[in-house]
Amino acid sequence: MASAEEIVEAYAAWRDRCNANERLRRMLRGWDRVVHLEATDTGDRFTVTVHEQTVGELAADAVGAPDLVVTATSEDFADLFWGDLNPSEKYMSGEIVLAGSQEDVMRLDALSMVAFLDQ
Amino acid sequence: MTQPAAAHRGATLRRAMGLRTTVSTSTGLAFAALEYLAAAGLVAYVAGDSAWIAVGTAGLLALMAWGFFGELNGMFPTAAAIRLYMKRAMDDRAALTITFTYMSTIVLVIAADAFIVGSAIAHMFGQASWSAALWIVVLLGLAVVSNLRGIRVAGSVQDLATYTVLVATAVIAGAAVLRSHHALRFPLTPLHGHSAGDFVEAVALGVFLYSAFEWVTTNAEEVRRPEHVHRGMLIAVGLLFCVCALVTMAMSHVLTHHQLTSAFPQLFLGRSAFGRAGMWAMAAVTALTALNTFNGGFITASRFIYATAREGSLPRQLALLNDRAVPWVPVVGLGVLSAAVAVVVAVSHSWQVLVATGAGLEAMIYAVAAWCVLRLRSRMPDQHRPFSMWGARVLGVAGLVVFGLLAVTASVSVSNRFDPVPLVVIAVAGGLSAFYVLRVLPGIRAAEAARRASVPRRRPPRSSPPGDPGASRPIEAGTQ
Repeated sequence: MASAEEIVEAYAAWRDRCNANERLRRMLRGWDRVVHLEATDTGDRFTVTVHEQTVGELAADAVGAPDLVVTATSEDFADLFWGDLNPSEKYMSGEIVLAGSQEDVMRLDALSMVAFLDQ
Repeated sequence: MTQPAAAHRGATLRRAMGLRTTVSTSTGLAFAALEYLAAAGLVAYVAGDSAWIAVGTAGLLALMAWGFFGELNGMFPTAAAIRLYMKRAMDDRAALTITFTYMSTIVLVIAADAFIVGSAIAHMFGQASWSAALWIVVLLGLAVVSNLRGIRVAGSVQDLATYTVLVATAVIAGAAVLRSHHALRFPLTPLHGHSAGDFVEAVALGVFLYSAFEWVTTNAEEVRRPEHVHRGMLIAVGLLFCVCALVTMAMSHVLTHHQLTSAFPQLFLGRSAFGRAGMWAMAAVTALTALNTFNGGFITASRFIYATAREGSLPRQLALLNDRAVPWVPVVGLGVLSAAVAVVVAVSHSWQVLVATGAGLEAMIYAVAAWCVLRLRSRMPDQHRPFSMWGARVLGVAGLVVFGLLAVTASVSVSNRFDPVPLVVIAVAGGLSAFYVLRVLPGIRAAEAARRASVPRRRPPRSSPPGDPGASRPIEAGTQ
């Protein structure tokens, strides 16, 4: 299990990486969203906000009405934010569960892919 | 492992699909322009105006399919459901082969709609039939460009388009029957002058009239309430029965053989109902159906291909994104492939082959769904089933047999005569899929595994007590 601190640390590194990527910022144009993260094993909840092409700080607990809810284990969240896990693979195997529109799901995966693979 | 989309503990989604949009999505995906050609093709197999009986029988079978997809969707409420339930029900290579073969249905439907709309436009403007090929390229070009720009039809527009299509089609079909001033011919005796085999063919085509209603299960993650998916599909099947029964009856009642075998029987139906104005109305309705098909078909197929490529089951190039986060390679590929198929159909006048191929593929996937329900009842008996199909074991076996037979029947008959071309098309699609899965994919997966192994783990080692598995875990197969 990953602690909340580990997830916060991983997220901070991921957010810096995303916000420093010019192409990714272009891809976020017009995509202002609230994303809730729910860790199945620890019960920790977080909120990610994307506003004006910038990925915001990680807020503790579920804040506001979400556009997207991501449910996974704490380990998967930490690995995902470090870029050590392919979220699509976990999603296609049913280990990461999502609620939200297909377009938002795509964008979220794109964030992860472009940040680490720059495709 | 998976759970209903709306069962998360967090707040309700800000944007979620209600029942109305779920119904319109399910109905709209099924009611493509190809519906008119399938309806016209169906009436050749039954006596007089009795096609509604074949449509109703097919509706009962569609209800069985509804049960299968309802149960599977409840277990795996995700856009990736087809991968999840098939992977658990059978060998992954077989699952991937069937999935890729099934995806060719989307290409067929997009191609068919482009062809039908292109032909209708050319006819309405009095242009030569070859100009339909130009319209096909223009229409698919527009669809590709709008997809690449990330434009998608809003739910409310889709609702309006779908319900307009259904109401307009029903009104025109009803008016065509009423204004013919002729009594119905053999409305209750489909076998009059026909064999039982003909009726089976009619039912196989009838199943195709409902096909794709289940594609709404890919929206399971965005519905307001999980039960909206199976309720929406049920309502959609009911709506499709009402409209398709009316259309087939009207077509057999007022259209000539020449009109029924044309590429735009719906235009003649409109003319029978309201003259030239009715013809233009049906042309507009046909264009509206294409809006749903192009929107739903391109998005569903391209996103699925993207996710499968990201998963490592297709080449990585298929996951390339443009600056609007659209997987541009699958979108362009779908457009080119659909245009090629549509132009070939336009030039060869083989649209009934397209209908028969689609009918065969859809019956095949319904048989596969029956198999998955049966297997998962055995393999995952304790899995939570929010929607549990009544009599699943009996109906599962029945569905497997009936849909299997219908798949074979539909694949070897075109316009009421033996023709194995649809079977050959399906066999080629299946053969190419199997070749890719068995011979090409292992190499792609090996290269991907090697690439991932060369990427050092980014997550710093954890300073934790010995024995903690998270402290020094090896790189996982899922590494980016």
